[in-house]
Amino acid sequence: MLAGRVAVVTGAGRGIGRGVALALAAAGAKVVVNDYGVNLDGSAPSAGPAFDVVAEIERAGGEAAGSTESVADWSSAKRIIDTAVERFGRIDVLVTCAGVLRDRMIFNMSEEEWDAVLAVHLKGTFNCVRHACTHMREQRYGRIVTFSSGAGLFGNPGQANYGAAKSAIGGLTKVAARDLGRYGVTVNAICPVAGTRMTLSDAYLRARELRHQQGIRREDRGVADIERLDPEDVAPMVVYLASEQAASVNGQFFLCWGNAVALISQPRPVKTLFKGDGYWTLDDLERLAPATVLEGLVNPAPPKEA
Amino acid sequence: MGERLKGRVAVVTGAGRGIGRAIAALMAAEGAAVVVNDVGAAVDGSGAAADVADEVVRAIRAEGGTAVANHDSVSDFRAAEQIVGTAIREFGRIDVLVNNAGILRDRMIFNMSEAEWDAVVAVHLKGTFNCTRHAAVHMRQQRGGRIVSMSSTSGVFGNTGQVNYGAAKDGIAGLTRVAARDLGRYGITVNAVCPGAATRMTATVPESAREARAKGRIAGPAGARPQALAHMGPENVAPWVVYLATDAARDVNGQVFFVMGGLIALLDYPAPVRTIQKEGRWTPEEIALVFSRTLGMDLVNPAPVQEPA
Repeated sequence: MLAGRVAVVTGAGRGIGRGVALALAAAGAKVVVNDYGVNLDGSAPSAGPAFDVVAEIERAGGEAAGSTESVADWSSAKRIIDTAVERFGRIDVLVTCAGVLRDRMIFNMSEEEWDAVLAVHLKGTFNCVRHACTHMREQRYGRIVTFSSGAGLFGNPGQANYGAAKSAIGGLTKVAARDLGRYGVTVNAICPVAGTRMTLSDAYLRARELRHQQGIRREDRGVADIERLDPEDVAPMVVYLASEQAASVNGQFFLCWGNAVALISQPRPVKTLFKGDGYWTLDDLERLAPATVLEGLVNPAPPKEA
Repeated sequence: MGERLKGRVAVVTGAGRGIGRAIAALMAAEGAAVVVNDVGAAVDGSGAAADVADEVVRAIRAEGGTAVANHDSVSDFRAAEQIVGTAIREFGRIDVLVNNAGILRDRMIFNMSEAEWDAVVAVHLKGTFNCTRHAAVHMRQQRGGRIVSMSSTSGVFGNTGQVNYGAAKDGIAGLTRVAARDLGRYGITVNAVCPGAATRMTATVPESAREARAKGRIAGPAGARPQALAHMGPENVAPWVVYLATDAARDVNGQVFFVMGGLIALLDYPAPVRTIQKEGRWTPEEIALVFSRTLGMDLVNPAPVQEPA
């Protein structure tokens, strides 16, 4: 399906990224396996994870090159893309999986916790897409698959940094799809749900238990048993989006969990109020809004007595 | 003059001009003491001028309202603390925060510089986090507060040539959804508004950009221009923002609204709409086989391939 194609996968040393790299290679692509090799919080880089996956691809008869640069830095992100061009002559596919977590309720979140998560997810995605898209535009062909998350699209408590970054990647995806589509480049996003070191951390499981006790609503969308969702299950949809067959799929979002793939709707105006004669007043809004645009809304975290 | 915000203290960032100024003025008219924050920069973020915020304060006071100016930048974590601190120092509390400050550096993604990306994301997204983070601490202690942040259809729907702005604005929508869940139990609501109004910011979008988009068959922000609207002044966005800051809207939390020229729309949350599922793992070939008849039904490419000129 991807014979002759060259792919870059960031965060490909473990979890979902590793599954994507293996599947792209199995479909015939030459793969740059990028991983900074850090802990889940972004600390302690190492070359191990990237080169382990390169070896795994080569053992299976595929072609791969390792890259241990960080996506968060503009210049090192360029070197990730350059690795594909220098080793394999081009770049057809970019999959941006690299990410870190620093969960904290917003009123306790430090600037450093915000910056670290935004740098890897959002700036990292921009950096790689920006450097890859100049090659893709010249080739008039390319496939970009970004990773967004239900944490941002639906809203998860305790993840203001991660949720904002992942939602911002959604916005980046929608705009990049419109900037690049005319050149034969597609840009789509995956919202994955899988059991990885990111989702099965002690902190995550503790937070889930705490939310449950406190009755905070969280949109699990019927995928509560995250432990049983294999990260390699996300890869087939990514390979499809990376193929020539998906040429007209652009600017879309897909939720992947286990053996299921769902198309995610994008926000639409669902209830409206309109005033054509003059400007709105607060009297108008108090009279009209509760029974129209606000009708039936539920507070996702209602006030609790102290 | 009303009394809906009597005794309340509001901070409005980017309140020196346009939508922010209209919000600050209406809040003051409803009895709030207002911190008018604006660095007084150009649309691209360059320069600074204290008199931009000062002039709004003078105008509010001339109408009998209460206001003070602040000239700090939202994009710096410590400076943002000073903005919120101004409300505490001058008026003893903070009940309402409106995150409105923003700049533009439009460019197609393949030509965008790192500096253009960083500048826009710093003011919109980091700036909204900074102010929200500092205000949330006080509001949580008070067990009450209202936060309204400006998002945009450029991010929520997608608009060509604005990857920095679109990403930042959709990031603000995500931040809003999370902060609503972090803070709701303390009696705080967090909502977002995608505004449309004739301001100096929209005046920077050249008509040629709209024409190029139409010629290239690139979709504009869906639904952004349903018709030519008569009442496009920023004063037509302010009432909805102020409404969200009043007691009447105490149960409205975690929502994104689109407000422009007399139109007020609730935007729905993204949600799974069609699902494919099978026993065992899909292969990419199997997905390719079923995609166009299932998930891909009715999908439209927002920017179809063009032959080179």
